[in-house]
Amino acid sequence: MTELQGIIGFEGLGINAWMVWVLPFVGAALIPAIAKVGNRLRNYAAVGFALASAIFAATLIPLGIEGGQVHSQINWIPILNIHAGILADSLSIFMTNIVAWISFLIFIYSVGYMHGDKDLTRYWFFMLFFIGSMQLIVFSDNLLMLFFGWEGVGLASFALIGFWYHDRKRDFVGTPGHYAGGIQMWASPSHAGLKAFLMTKAGDIMMLSGMFLIFGYAGTFGFTELIQDQSWATEMANNNLLVPAAVLIFGGAIGKSAQFPLNEWLLEAMTGPTPVSALIHAATMVKAGVFLVARIGPLFFAISALNSSQFFEVVAWIGGITAFLLATQAMVNPEIKKVLAYSTGSQIGLMVMALGIAGLSTSFVDGYTAGLFHLMSHAMFKASLFMGAGAVLHAVGSRFMTDMGGLRSKMKKTFIFMMMAGLSLAAAPFITLGFWSKDAILASVLESGYQYSWALFAIAVMVSFMTAFYTFRMLGMTFFGDKSKFIQETESSHHVHEVGAVMWVPFAILAIASIAIGLIGFGFEHQLHEMFSAYLANSFGIQSTVSVEQEIQSKGGSEFLSFVGLNPVAVIASFSAFALGAILGGLVYMKRAINPEIVSRSIISRAVWKFFINRWYLNTALYWGAVIGPLAIFRIVWRYFESTIIDGINPGLQGTMTYFSRVIKAGQTGIAQTYLFVFAAGVLIIIMLLFL
Amino acid sequence: MTESYYLLIATFLPLLLSPVVYVIAKKRGANSATWLSFGILAISTMLLFMASFSLQGGRTAYIESYTWSQFGNFGLRIDGLSLPFAMIINILCTVLTLYSKPYMLHKIKESFKENFNKGENNSDSESGLYKSNTGVNEMKTLTVSGVNEEQYTNQQMGLYFALYLTFSMGMLGTVLATNLIEFYVFFELMLVPSFFLVAFYGYGERKRIALMFFFWTHAGAVVMLLGLLAMGFFAGGFDYDTVRENASKIPDQWLVLIVFALVIGLGVKLAAFLLHIWLPYAHSEAPTPVSALLSPAMIGIGAYALIRLWLELLVGSYSQYSIYINLWGLATMIYGGAMAMMQDDIKRVLAYSSISQMGYILFGIGSDSTLGITGATLMYVSHGLGKAILFMMAGAIILQTGTRTMSKLGGLAGRMPYTAVIAMIGALTIMGIPPTSGFMAEWILFNGVLQSGIANSDTLRIVAFGLGILATVLTAAYILWMYKRIFFGKIPEQYTKIKDPNRYVIVTMAALAAITLILGVYPNPLLNPVADYIQDMFSNDSTVLQFSNVKPVSLESQNDQNKLVAVVGGGS
Repeated sequence: MTELQGIIGFEGLGINAWMVWVLPFVGAALIPAIAKVGNRLRNYAAVGFALASAIFAATLIPLGIEGGQVHSQINWIPILNIHAGILADSLSIFMTNIVAWISFLIFIYSVGYMHGDKDLTRYWFFMLFFIGSMQLIVFSDNLLMLFFGWEGVGLASFALIGFWYHDRKRDFVGTPGHYAGGIQMWASPSHAGLKAFLMTKAGDIMMLSGMFLIFGYAGTFGFTELIQDQSWATEMANNNLLVPAAVLIFGGAIGKSAQFPLNEWLLEAMTGPTPVSALIHAATMVKAGVFLVARIGPLFFAISALNSSQFFEVVAWIGGITAFLLATQAMVNPEIKKVLAYSTGSQIGLMVMALGIAGLSTSFVDGYTAGLFHLMSHAMFKASLFMGAGAVLHAVGSRFMTDMGGLRSKMKKTFIFMMMAGLSLAAAPFITLGFWSKDAILASVLESGYQYSWALFAIAVMVSFMTAFYTFRMLGMTFFGDKSKFIQETESSHHVHEVGAVMWVPFAILAIASIAIGLIGFGFEHQLHEMFSAYLANSFGIQSTVSVEQEIQSKGGSEFLSFVGLNPVAVIASFSAFALGAILGGLVYMKRAINPEIVSRSIISRAVWKFFINRWYLNTALYWGAVIGPLAIFRIVWRYFESTIIDGINPGLQGTMTYFSRVIKAGQTGIAQTYLFVFAAGVLIIIMLLFL
Repeated sequence: MTESYYLLIATFLPLLLSPVVYVIAKKRGANSATWLSFGILAISTMLLFMASFSLQGGRTAYIESYTWSQFGNFGLRIDGLSLPFAMIINILCTVLTLYSKPYMLHKIKESFKENFNKGENNSDSESGLYKSNTGVNEMKTLTVSGVNEEQYTNQQMGLYFALYLTFSMGMLGTVLATNLIEFYVFFELMLVPSFFLVAFYGYGERKRIALMFFFWTHAGAVVMLLGLLAMGFFAGGFDYDTVRENASKIPDQWLVLIVFALVIGLGVKLAAFLLHIWLPYAHSEAPTPVSALLSPAMIGIGAYALIRLWLELLVGSYSQYSIYINLWGLATMIYGGAMAMMQDDIKRVLAYSSISQMGYILFGIGSDSTLGITGATLMYVSHGLGKAILFMMAGAIILQTGTRTMSKLGGLAGRMPYTAVIAMIGALTIMGIPPTSGFMAEWILFNGVLQSGIANSDTLRIVAFGLGILATVLTAAYILWMYKRIFFGKIPEQYTKIKDPNRYVIVTMAALAAITLILGVYPNPLLNPVADYIQDMFSNDSTVLQFSNVKPVSLESQNDQNKLVAVVGGGS
């Protein structure tokens, strides 16, 4: 384990870290120029920049594994004592490699998927801008610079979700004609982009407020500076502002990661091209929120002498609620990409829950590792699933799963790799990456010693069951059963066929990797655990109370389980959740032994179904409360205040003046007698005043 | 003090040469007049730059002073406060000259057709404000006999540029003035040409609106003048320095009245809530290049005057009233934003947006902290750039489609890609999204308000901060919604063939966009002088929150800071 180095300038390994995020921006800036040379070159150049950035990220891996840290700073705004800097430590190096390599694969996939679209210069510009911003978030050593990346990600997502801005009907999401509580539940791309931007912006202002609060007391935004001198925290805690500030910053993560109550934008975000969805869900954007929590979580835990456990409670419960909320909706949705989107929100909820539970338990590193491990495994299988779903969409030409079915034989490769990634999402025991990471979360919840950990555990198990169910439902509806009417109708003109290698190879790599790493999952987890406990100890002084070996011995479960560091209760719960969900999903949608129509037979189940498909009426509440309501108020003000009273001032003044002029005019009769009479009267009055 | 005349030339060159521009336009055509005006303003801007080099940060001032009259000296002064205002005014004026050429040619040709080809419709006797009725008739007959669109155009362009140059002189002079009377003279001097520009070249009921604009702002100016005169009488002189030194001589009961007069008078200029009535009309019906000057550059001068005349000169009268300004700013920003949501006309959205943005500036000025006031100054710069870009976008759309009604537009991003991209940068600037200067201004401004609320444990201010930062979502909403309605969605049939406007438009917009991006990432050239100057301004006023107070551990960290810079020094 190396000693932590001091702050360096723009030198050494620091340059590599700068390069990771600067290169995509340079690429983005050059793309319009390269496009002038040729479209093919432009596509390759974009992939090339992504690859170069990924290679720079990879050069940092050794540093991350040995627990070192490079902190490189340059002057930025000296008058406020703000520096721009990058902080390459185990956390950021772990994260940057996930982002860089998965983005690179998605870029390759994009070359195939977006082939023939005419606005690709814009596409590549924002894709590069997207990963550049994300890497900026990952490497920033202070909150202000992080916020630059944060908004950059928001901007890129706005532009890419609304990429097909002409709002053609086929680019919409949602079922046309579906209303819930008077609000239409389908959206155009430009509407979806706007919604995503504004909802994440609502989170961002919370984050800004939290940042300002901390800046007010600490005078710095820097992560390392904040941990070095903790007097600010004492002072804030004395004023009862520490937890609010932390929760406000977490508000940014709620927006970006689509957690309850700012979760509604994520579903409409499916209007973007599929590679964009994959990027948003696997590598950039929604992972940014989890990363932020991972960045600031240890900081607030390290100063937990001041008791910031309420903060972690908020984090854990927000995560738990979101995980449950979105999993229920994923079970009923008919669109393949939206099922995946709900699933992302739900899985992110689990990660956030794990990071929250970390701060509530005695062993911070357990929950921390579990959350980040799940982040990684989710990034891999979700990117793979999205790209697979994109291949299906590409082949079928409809976003509804009811228009698919029986694709197993036509698209063998897509089927196999989506199945592998799907098993990982459903957490098939022992062989998939998803199993190990989910199990780590379950175990960390169970062992946390938090008062209500049983409730969170119950939520997590239910979510696992639902995850298995909707995964099998999705795979079943897409690949099993008979061909749908839609396919039969279109088959004559448009033959469903397997996609090209440029498309299937990227998701094949990820699907295989998520199984391959899954096979050695326990060892991998162990490595991560060690890396992060060293990181937390070195950077934040958080010592894990018990080492893993001791923990296993103390539990003394069955030999195999203790060998791989598993909690038996967690394993059993996870296993049975998977089995139940998979069997149910398999019976209904793969074997088609049970007709899903049975849901509509009972009033209760139909009501539940309706509640889920209408998104718990959250979207409805959002539109009535945050769009229609305020607009109605504005309209009233506009009509009765601005247009009537304020605009009435001018005519009012004018009228008054005209009136006065009429009064005066009335006196000017032009008749000499009148004038003389008034004159005489005046003289008389003066005389009377003078002499009486 | 150096014996140089940078500022004198910078200010008066445009005025002196404006008749020349008129003559040149008549003789040599619009093109020469455009480039001549551009050259004049470019020289003026260069001179400003040269003067500002001698500043070395914001702690010194560059002053040229000449004996004038019994009112005191006629001075021109550039310092940390006036620098950003003067720079933005001159940069916008310079850049918009080029933009004016295609726009005004188009506009004047249009009005030529309106006036002469369809002369019969033009029976409204009022429309001949700038020429006698007989003149109209005369020219009608001329048109019939084949004369002469070009002559008319050249003459009108000449008049336009002459007025334009005078207008720019007025704005620059207001900002550089060092004497209350001088300030007032320039303040009115910028009003007169802008009145004519609206009345001659505007849209719709342009004369009525120009008059309304004139009366309102003039009434405001007169109220302000009462305050200025009172200040001068009590202080025994009208020079800024005299007033500042003798500010304590002003009796308390008068001080209240003076502050009130200044705030109300300048509030009209700033179009603060309840005094904003003239703005949506004037800004939406003015010719677009003039809107792009009126809206960001001119009304913001009200903010400059508040800082200069009230905060700086009337020492010690600020803190107690600051909260009212703060709340007024809050009301303005929310109200402006809400009303902008209700518009269907691009320029009216932008006009209400200007009201809202002036609310931000007032919000910062009322923050009772140097950080907030610095932010307000940056906000002026950033709003100047961003709003100018958006107005230029509106102009580009008027040029290409002939309409500015959003319900008739849509999907233009594909047809006008350059306009769309640059307008997006402008939109981001207004929304305060990094990496534009809007974010730099906004975070410093809002930070200042919050710090001041915390430092004084002032709940009202903290609530105001919360509502204020919520209003940024409103800003984002109306800007993006406008953007969506113009550039996204289905393109109407009749616009499927349109293209980006010509280089004059695109390049000038891009130049401003580049400035906002640079300042957004590297704000120091702007931030340092402003922050230094404003810190010095309040260095003796303990009631105003200082930069250093932001940090509770200021003394040790001062040393740390130096060390840190030394360590890091090699970096940048």
